Amino acid sequence: MAPVRVLVADDEPVSRTVVGAMLKKAGYQVTFASDGEQAWQQLTAPNPPAIALLDWEMPGMAGPEVAERIRARGEQTPTYVILLTSRDSSADIVTGLKAGANDYVTKPANEDELVARVRSLEEALANVKALQTLLPMCAYCKAIRNDQNYWEKVETYFHNRSGVSFSHGYCPNCYDRFVKPQLDALEDVTQAQRQQKERP
Amino acid sequence: MTPPALDSIVIAGLRQLTPPGEPDVLKEVLQLFLDDVPVRIERLRAGWQAGNAVEVQRAAHSLKGSAGNIGANDLLAVCRVLDDRSKSGDLSNLPELVASLDAEFARVEAEIQRLIA
Repeated sequence: MAPVRVLVADDEPVSRTVVGAMLKKAGYQVTFASDGEQAWQQLTAPNPPAIALLDWEMPGMAGPEVAERIRARGEQTPTYVILLTSRDSSADIVTGLKAGANDYVTKPANEDELVARVRSLEEALANVKALQTLLPMCAYCKAIRNDQNYWEKVETYFHNRSGVSFSHGYCPNCYDRFVKPQLDALEDVTQAQRQQKERP
Repeated sequence: MTPPALDSIVIAGLRQLTPPGEPDVLKEVLQLFLDDVPVRIERLRAGWQAGNAVEVQRAAHSLKGSAGNIGANDLLAVCRVLDDRSKSGDLSNLPELVASLDAEFARVEAEIQRLIA
């Protein structure tokens, strides 16, 4: 499996390098940004990093603002955000979490704590992905429940997502089970009608 | 006895971050510190001379981060006071603090030169 990509955004190069080295050692692929704008560019590019560690105080756009903007985009799997903060008052932490951050780490980061927090978000992310690949399907009519909680015909569901179209036919099993009995029944009826006509 | 300029536990922590066959992370971080911190100290001094508490606070805040990351605990303590004072807009008593900032930085710099030699 490809290593999980993590963005480290901090205007202060010493912190940025130390946090990046801790994550690289833990097996993550790390990208860097030195201000909020650069971070935002990476987060809105195609195939963004799965997890972002954002410094609370950055020039341009601060960490909480970036987190808020990510939430506002309403992506299906938004980048998970950890705020890096030297502020340890609980009021600030609440502000950060309310803005949409998933977690926070106080600076200077402790290696074990930082890696444990990133790992737990990585696991949560893997669970979300597993849920997204698990489609709820009606056991009887095979309709699929879509993301808007609406039951769609399986053809419609896949057509809307992948553009695939369906031609309808029947497999040999269903021919024996459904089609043949109907043809036989039809045969019986026409035979009965014929016999009726032939009677004097 | 003066405590060491750099916390040996933090330094050992940085030393073990280097992956096998890669350039030394400790050296890279200490070099970055030497390149970046004097610029920020100058920015703090300029902010103080211009009476700009916001500039002083911003510089003190990032200095705090840099100092904390390499275990420069005494330097960190000075930066913390500077950060708190400037946050409240109080720029009095700053000459003494800026002087201790310079003195602490000189001590850290000497220790870094010894480590990366």
